[in-house]
Amino acid sequence: MRGTLAVARYTLLDLSRRRILLVFFIIGALGIALIGTALKLFSSTFTGGAFSGPSGTTPDPANVNRFLDLMFVTDLVGALGLFALLIAFGIGMTAIYHDLESGAAVAIFSKPVSRLAFTGGKVSAAAAALIVIVGLLSLEAMLFGLLFGGGLEQTLAIEAVAQVANALTLMLIVLALSTWMNNIVAAIVAFIYNAAGGVVVALHNSLASSVNFGDSAILKDGINVLYWLVPHQLTSDAPRELVKAEIQLFAVPGQPGPDLNQALAAVPGPSGANDIIWWAFVVLVMATLVYIAVRRRQV
Amino acid sequence: MAPVVSVEALRKRYRRRDPWAVDGVTFALEPGQAFGLLGPNGSGKTSVVKMIAGLLRPDGGAISLFGSRPGDPAARAQLGFAPEDPDFPKFLRAREVLDYFASLLGLDEDDRKRRIPETLAFAGLDQEKRQVRQFSKGMKQRLGIAQAILGRPKLLILDEPTADLDPLGRRDVRALIESLKDSGVAVLLNSHLLSEVELVCDTVAILAKGRVLKEGTMAEVVPEGRTLEDVFVELVQASAPPKHDNLPSFITDKENQ
Repeated sequence: MRGTLAVARYTLLDLSRRRILLVFFIIGALGIALIGTALKLFSSTFTGGAFSGPSGTTPDPANVNRFLDLMFVTDLVGALGLFALLIAFGIGMTAIYHDLESGAAVAIFSKPVSRLAFTGGKVSAAAAALIVIVGLLSLEAMLFGLLFGGGLEQTLAIEAVAQVANALTLMLIVLALSTWMNNIVAAIVAFIYNAAGGVVVALHNSLASSVNFGDSAILKDGINVLYWLVPHQLTSDAPRELVKAEIQLFAVPGQPGPDLNQALAAVPGPSGANDIIWWAFVVLVMATLVYIAVRRRQV
Repeated sequence: MAPVVSVEALRKRYRRRDPWAVDGVTFALEPGQAFGLLGPNGSGKTSVVKMIAGLLRPDGGAISLFGSRPGDPAARAQLGFAPEDPDFPKFLRAREVLDYFASLLGLDEDDRKRRIPETLAFAGLDQEKRQVRQFSKGMKQRLGIAQAILGRPKLLILDEPTADLDPLGRRDVRALIESLKDSGVAVLLNSHLLSEVELVCDTVAILAKGRVLKEGTMAEVVPEGRTLEDVFVELVQASAPPKHDNLPSFITDKENQ
C-alpha cells in the first residue's frame, strides 16, 4: 500500500507538470466556453417564432426552448467527450511508458516495491488525473448551463459521468498497449479499436431493433460475437431526449407524426446494468494487462 | 560470515538464438568487502548486477541476496543500486525524486528530514531547482548515486558510477566507497576505470563474453610488478580472436595525410 501511494503521488505530480495535458485542458476549457456562449447567443436570437414546422405551423415556444436547451447540452457533452478522449490519450501515452522506456524503472524497481504496487499506483494516478481534468471541464459546462438558465444539470452530470467512464476505458487501453509497444503506435491501435468498437455497437443496436439486416443469421451472430469483444460506450438518456423533443417540436397538431419508437431505434439509449458490468469488466481486464506487462518487463 | 550476495553458475541470454550474455558466473560478496567486476563492453557485467537487483530474470543458476530471492522486496530494502546511465521521472526535481524513493524505502518523516538534504548536499544537488529533464548526464549520475545510498544499504551496487563524473565527483565516489566499506557495507563495483578499481577494491573478477576469466584478491590477480591493466588486456585479448591493426585505412594511410 505504501508503495502504491508513493507511486501514485509522484506520478500525479509528474503528470500535472506535463505541458501536453495543460494544453489539452486549456483548449477544452476554451472550447466549452466558446460552444456554450455561441449556442446561447444562437438560442436567444432565434426564439420560437424563428422556427416553423411542416405546412407553415409555428411550434410551441416552450418546446423550442426545451429543444434548444437539449441541443445546448448535447453539444456541450459532445465537446466534453472529445476533450475527454484527447486527455485520455495524453495520459495513457505518458503515465507509464516514459518510466519504462527512459530507464527510470531501473531505479524504481530496484527499491522494495512490488510490480503490483507500481502498477496500482500508476493506474490509480492516471485515473485520478483523468477524473480531475474531465471533472473540471464538466463543472465548467454545468456552470455555463446555470449561467444561461439552468435546469439540465442532472442530465449533464449523468452524461459527464458516462463520458469520464468512456475516456477511462480508452485511457486504460492506451496504457495497456503502451506497456507492450511504442506509445504512438499504442495510441493509433487504441484509436482504431475504439472506433471499430463504436461501429460494432451501433450495428448491434440496429440489430436489436431489427433494422437493415434482413434474415442473415450469420451476420447477426457475427455482430453478436463482436459486440462482446469491444468496449461498450456508456450513454445517458440525453441523446434520446433530444430526438424526442425534436419530433414533438415539429409535430403537426391533429396529424399522426412519425413512429417515435422507430425514430429512436437508431439513437443509443441509456446504458443498462449489463453495459455497466461490461464496462467494469473491460476496465479490470485492461488494468490486469498493464500489470502482466509490467510484471514480465525486464529493465 | 554469511555472504551478502552469492551468485552461482548464473546464466542469461536475451534471445534464444543469441549467445549467452552471462555464462556460468559464480562469486560471493561478504560484508565490508569491495568487489570489482571488470570486463570489456558487452562482457555481461551489467546483466549480472541487474539480475542481482531483480531487474532481469536469470535463465540458469542461482542468486541469493541476503538469503532471499532478488525479487523479494525485503531483500531489496537492503540494496542500493546506482544504474549505468540512470534516469528518473523527468518532470520531478532532485529533492522530489529522493522523497519518492524515500517513500518506496519506507523511511519515516524524521529520517527523510535528515537524510534527503544531506544526500543532496553529498551529490552537489542541494541548490538545484530544475527538473530532471534539464539535468546533464553527470547530474543524473550523481542523483543515481544519491538515491542508491539514501536507504543506508548493506549492499551497494555501482554500475559504471564515475563514467560521467568530473575528477572531483570521482574522488567523492572513492571516498564514499572507502567510508561504506569501513562501516561494513559490501560494495559491488562495475567499472572500466581500472586504476579506480585498483584503488578501492579488495577482490576482482574479470569477465569476457559472459564468463569469468580470473577472480581473486587484488594480490592474486595482479602479480607484483604488473598493473591491473596489464592483466586485464592480456586476459581479454587471449579470450578474443586475434585482432590485427584495425584502424581505418584513411587514418593510417600516409598518402592521405
